[in-house]
Amino acid sequence: MGIHSITNACSHLSNASRARLGLTSLPNNKYNLLLSLALHRAGLIASVTRAGPHPPPPEALLSFEAEPVTTANVATRRLWLGLKYWNNEPVMRKLTAVSKSSRLVTASYRDLSRVARGFQSGQMKGMNLGETMFLATDRGVLEVREALEKKVGGLVLCRVN
Amino acid sequence: MSATRPIARSLLSRRLACSLTPTTSSPAAPLSRPPQACHALHTSAHLAARRRPRFANVSAANMGLIDNSWSQEKIDKFTAEKFTRYSPEEMEVLREQLSSEQLEALKAGEAAVDPQDLTVQGALRTDPYRMPYIDDFRDIQPIIDRRPRTQPPPDPMARFMNLDEFTQDLVEWSRKFEVGDKRQKLKRLEEFAPPEWQAKPEKQWPENVKREAHDKYTGYLTIEAAKSQEDVNAGGSGSGPTDADILEYVLERSIMTDNNLQSQSFLAPALPRKVPGVAGHYKTSTDELDVEGIYQGLKARTGMSVKQITSMTLKTVDVNFVSNQTRLGKIPSVRVTMIAGNKEGWLGVGVAKGGDIRAGSQMATLKAIENMQPIRRYEDRTVYGNIKAKISGTVVELYARPPGFGLRIPHRLFEMARAVGIRDLAARIPRSRNGHNTIMAAFHALTHQPDPEEIARGRGKKLVDVRKVYYGGNVQ
Repeated sequence: MGIHSITNACSHLSNASRARLGLTSLPNNKYNLLLSLALHRAGLIASVTRAGPHPPPPEALLSFEAEPVTTANVATRRLWLGLKYWNNEPVMRKLTAVSKSSRLVTASYRDLSRVARGFQSGQMKGMNLGETMFLATDRGVLEVREALEKKVGGLVLCRVN
Repeated sequence: MSATRPIARSLLSRRLACSLTPTTSSPAAPLSRPPQACHALHTSAHLAARRRPRFANVSAANMGLIDNSWSQEKIDKFTAEKFTRYSPEEMEVLREQLSSEQLEALKAGEAAVDPQDLTVQGALRTDPYRMPYIDDFRDIQPIIDRRPRTQPPPDPMARFMNLDEFTQDLVEWSRKFEVGDKRQKLKRLEEFAPPEWQAKPEKQWPENVKREAHDKYTGYLTIEAAKSQEDVNAGGSGSGPTDADILEYVLERSIMTDNNLQSQSFLAPALPRKVPGVAGHYKTSTDELDVEGIYQGLKARTGMSVKQITSMTLKTVDVNFVSNQTRLGKIPSVRVTMIAGNKEGWLGVGVAKGGDIRAGSQMATLKAIENMQPIRRYEDRTVYGNIKAKISGTVVELYARPPGFGLRIPHRLFEMARAVGIRDLAARIPRSRNGHNTIMAAFHALTHQPDPEEIARGRGKKLVDVRKVYYGGNVQ
């Protein structure tokens, strides 16, 4: 499970929202799925659907009966994410990957509590208005506020603005 | 039409001949050409008879759409019922009530209007060209009616009078007034000379006789003039034109050869000094606070009063001396950047060029006030979050700060923050510090602040500002 898929996903989702796409896809892997679900919990994307190389019909995104993943079709599966827009502006505007394969950035609970309140902690700058952060913890991929609730720190994946 | 062309010439000759035929019944007229050979002066084919429609029409009355069953008897009966003449008894009553002139007018009216016309024509109009009001047109209502043209049109041949005509006109005008010795009762100069000189003309009189006679005559005339003036003062018959007559002559008598024709004026009649119902509601276009009229356009565009406009906080934040290079040389001008704010969350930036700083500032002021926009302020003291804006090579970063932090920002941003009413702010200009671009970038940053409410709605989250929740929301 490499961090590079998260880095790629951040760039791709930034570009997709800048291009005002409604539905875009990520490679189907566990890390991407966990991040997508965390983004969905944070209200930044509209839907997460696993489907084949062709997008599922948009009207059936939420009620889509996914084909069971088998060894025969797993290589062609993709995660289809519905992007959100509000007042003609993307809800998820900019995703900045923090950790990369060559440099993993972790944050303790103490760091996170400072950063979430807008203060700098070490090298990590405080969060701005409307900004959020996603972490890979031993409780799964969480938003920073979920991690603070659970009082856990972890690997900083990305910051979303 | 060219008369030299053969066809046109023949047509013309035939036209002339036929128009002459009915009037000249001379025996020499050619009888071989019948009068119906007369063609119109065009080459289209002559129609044998009146053109009939291909499909017969049906009249509305035949279809029962209109009622034309009013026969003459019915009309007469209705007239006799509704429009009866005055009976002798009624005339007696009227004679008692009306003056003789009114009675005569009544009789003339009765004689002039046929009662049958009242039956046939007298109805309230329902056609689309009717008057929009019911009136018997006795009075001219200036609001509704057009002004009557009481004067004939001006004489197109009229010209300015020459000296003789002018003199003649003046003499004619003066004849209206009794001037001088109309009754021939005044004495003449000869009567004051000694009797032996009275029969001889004045030129032959010796010098002393002439002077004596003139003195006596002048004295006599003075006394007579005083007498006539007393008559006038005592209300006697006027002699000579009054001042009002002379003024009327100067102002109103025509100096054209149109017999003093007063032509129709094209000017609308002036409003009276105090129009009833409107008096006191007029507003003059100029404001007493704005005598030069600088803010007239701004007032109209923004709807603000001059007092509001002049109460804005203004600041010149950038001045550039620029020049336009033309083939005639460099044309210098001054570009002035001004900001305007009301210290309560409104800010505007105006940029204008002028020949000098004063002219540029004035234009920039008007533009700044016109460009004013609401700026969102957190707790009316700072901005929402950290904002960054870039214009050209200039990046302006604004940072929200806690209460009491103050304005720790560069001078142009300081003026802007003060004008808009922000009291706690930090800022950085990490790159180019060009004055104009700094102002524009800061203005862009201030007008594009993130809105937490909108972000929360976009994500479908509930948002609570804890500063407004803790301590009973008394944190301010």
